[in-house]
Amino acid sequence: MSPSNMQSTNNAVRANWRKEFSPEGMKKFHEYADEYPNKRSALMMVLRLAEEEFGSITDEAMQIVADLCNVGVSHVQGMVTFYTHFKRPFHGKHRFMVCATLMCALENNTDAALKQVEAKLGIKTGEITADGLFSCEKVECLADCDKPPVVQCDKEHFTSMKGPQLDAYLDQLLKSEGKTAADYQGKPGIKMDQRVPTLPSHFNFPGESQVGARHFENKDAYSPEGQGELTTKIPGALATPLTVPVADGVNGANGALGSKHNAGKSHGSNQNGAGHG
Amino acid sequence: MAEEQKPGNPGAAIPGAATTGAVSSAAAPASPAPAAAAPAEPKPRVPFSPVLLKYINEPNSHTIEHYLARGGYETARSHVGVTEPATLIKLVDDSGLRGRGGAGFPTGKKWSFLAKGTGKPAYLAVNGDESEPGTFKDRYILERDPHELVEGVILTCYAIGSKHAFIYLRGEFILGFERLHAAVEAAKAKGLVGKNIFGTGHDGKPGVDLTITVVRGAGAYICGEETGMLSSIEGGRGYPKIKPPFPAVSGLFGCPTIVNNVETISAVTHIIKHGVAWHKQWGTEKSPGFKIFCLSGAVKKPGVYEVPLGIPMREMIDVYGGGLKDGRKMKAVIPGGLSAPVLTPEMVDKCTLDYESLASLGSMLGSGGITVLDEQVDMVSAIYNTMRFYHHESCGQCTPCREGTGWLEKVAHRFHHDEGHQGDVELLADICKNMRGRTICVLADAAAMPMQGFLQYFKKDFEAKIKDPAFVEKQRTYRDEISPKAKTLSATGAGPSALDVGSEMAE
Repeated sequence: MSPSNMQSTNNAVRANWRKEFSPEGMKKFHEYADEYPNKRSALMMVLRLAEEEFGSITDEAMQIVADLCNVGVSHVQGMVTFYTHFKRPFHGKHRFMVCATLMCALENNTDAALKQVEAKLGIKTGEITADGLFSCEKVECLADCDKPPVVQCDKEHFTSMKGPQLDAYLDQLLKSEGKTAADYQGKPGIKMDQRVPTLPSHFNFPGESQVGARHFENKDAYSPEGQGELTTKIPGALATPLTVPVADGVNGANGALGSKHNAGKSHGSNQNGAGHG
Repeated sequence: MAEEQKPGNPGAAIPGAATTGAVSSAAAPASPAPAAAAPAEPKPRVPFSPVLLKYINEPNSHTIEHYLARGGYETARSHVGVTEPATLIKLVDDSGLRGRGGAGFPTGKKWSFLAKGTGKPAYLAVNGDESEPGTFKDRYILERDPHELVEGVILTCYAIGSKHAFIYLRGEFILGFERLHAAVEAAKAKGLVGKNIFGTGHDGKPGVDLTITVVRGAGAYICGEETGMLSSIEGGRGYPKIKPPFPAVSGLFGCPTIVNNVETISAVTHIIKHGVAWHKQWGTEKSPGFKIFCLSGAVKKPGVYEVPLGIPMREMIDVYGGGLKDGRKMKAVIPGGLSAPVLTPEMVDKCTLDYESLASLGSMLGSGGITVLDEQVDMVSAIYNTMRFYHHESCGQCTPCREGTGWLEKVAHRFHHDEGHQGDVELLADICKNMRGRTICVLADAAAMPMQGFLQYFKKDFEAKIKDPAFVEKQRTYRDEISPKAKTLSATGAGPSALDVGSEMAE
């Protein structure tokens, strides 16, 4: 995880994250949750809800979903990365999905459609325009194989999307954003990065003290509220002798992750190992 | 294009359908097709008109008003709380209805396997994750006649004694989800779903409760596998679970669960309404009834067609599909979704559309997605596309599948770029052999089967894409000259072939 990624999800940012959906969203959540024997099983639908609430499934949305459904954030992240249809922050606001499976790809339908989109938006397949508005990607079967090529965009499903029909839709979409095709010509797109930061390694689980330092490499990225930048200087409250031994060979980060409640303490131990030993 | 085939239907685009493309190809012929192209039949053909797709071209066919006006929910009303559930199970069993999702397991038998007396609730999970490429039949039921499915769910749940049904749709069915959700809500408002449905629970009769939950997936082929779908409904990654225990014993939330396809459940309503003899008048002895087939590829009139089982495949392609486009010649047919082994034109001639005929030809009826490939199709590129699909969709639990699909894709990719290596055809066959039957679910088989079919019938296409043998020989000589190690290896036959020797060997 690069430091620049860390910046976007440090604790100061996280402090401003929402704790739940909007009132309407929460009402919907309870509707969904009531239908299932447990909250965890409502996850598929709640993630869809999060997608609507936030426009895409962001870190913030994943945290809320995890809290609401009584699962760990890692489980939510595992789901979000498993299913390809969830909209993620690295997708464009308008996410073009062109079916590339055999039935659509026959007679060059997919390639023709992709070329048309690429020409209009000035990006390659798998890229997003620099302003983040449009992205274009190949996907697998969209189940309308008799009318190729099949395209999905913004909750809409299109069949036989070629030639003037596709052009007209693209124009309409550009117009709705106040853009024209000329705005995108000659401007290279950005590759959609699947490795978007989702769980910073200094992540705190619900109910855990914000002081627990979980990450030791990117200290700059870590700034617990009210304590300023964390440096090698240990805050007084944490500078107590280590009570839980850290296993040999376990580095600071892993040791901290392993002992939940003593995260801060083990941190202290690692930083001032000689003093406590 | 297909309007002339259905004189009784307005053939208008469904208002509100979020498609800008042509919607008219969903035509189901109103009259039985002439048997001109068919060989001699053992018994006279019983006239057939579409049952499941009868109303899909009528405006507002998805609304409850439309459904009630055509006698909808009357079957459920007359049976729920009245008929013994065991009678309904026996009726479906006698009708010989087989699962329409792909495996073709007898539905009544599956229902009778449901574990009883466990003290746990029983669930019905309806599989609407229609993700097999080439299949799009459930889309039409979900988008244009969702109440047909809801009534089937009511009857099925009553028969198996379930109080809660889950209907899992794939994430791409945006309109289908909206319409089915609206249909369930409308049925709830009318007291057809919920507590004490159809006015039961009065006059000393026991009440019948039913909750229907519609779940929307998010784009994973593996969730079409029954246990993968259950994992997804439980709120996890769509990982299939090992069987046994089968879902009928331990399925959703560890409770007995029946998993059926959307088309199967929709057909249940009609079978219970019209009876066993009505259903058995069509089809063959082992595959009775009717089925929706999805025709795609190089035919003049692609679309969904509901026909009796057992009709010749030639009739489906030439009469319903109108033959091949632009007078092209048929090269191959994929008969049951992308995972079904391919058929050659000679096999298509003797093939009939039922489970047994296709099994005897080494293929399968599967989900009923027929794709016609014409002579312009590069078979090697087609199989590369197929392998890319399976590699993308492998869930990654089992090594033979996760790695095998990747290898198949990579080797097929070489052929796709005319860079096949000597021995690659054998390598592909070997990978397939080592994938089949060694994984939790059948995705590995689904990937290996089409490859094996293509290798069996279109081996020449692969061999033509192997780099010129003379060129290979030249490479071998060159490398042998500069690399004694490679020479020794290739001489003993122990090492990789000359082209496989990487730069590190050629030092």
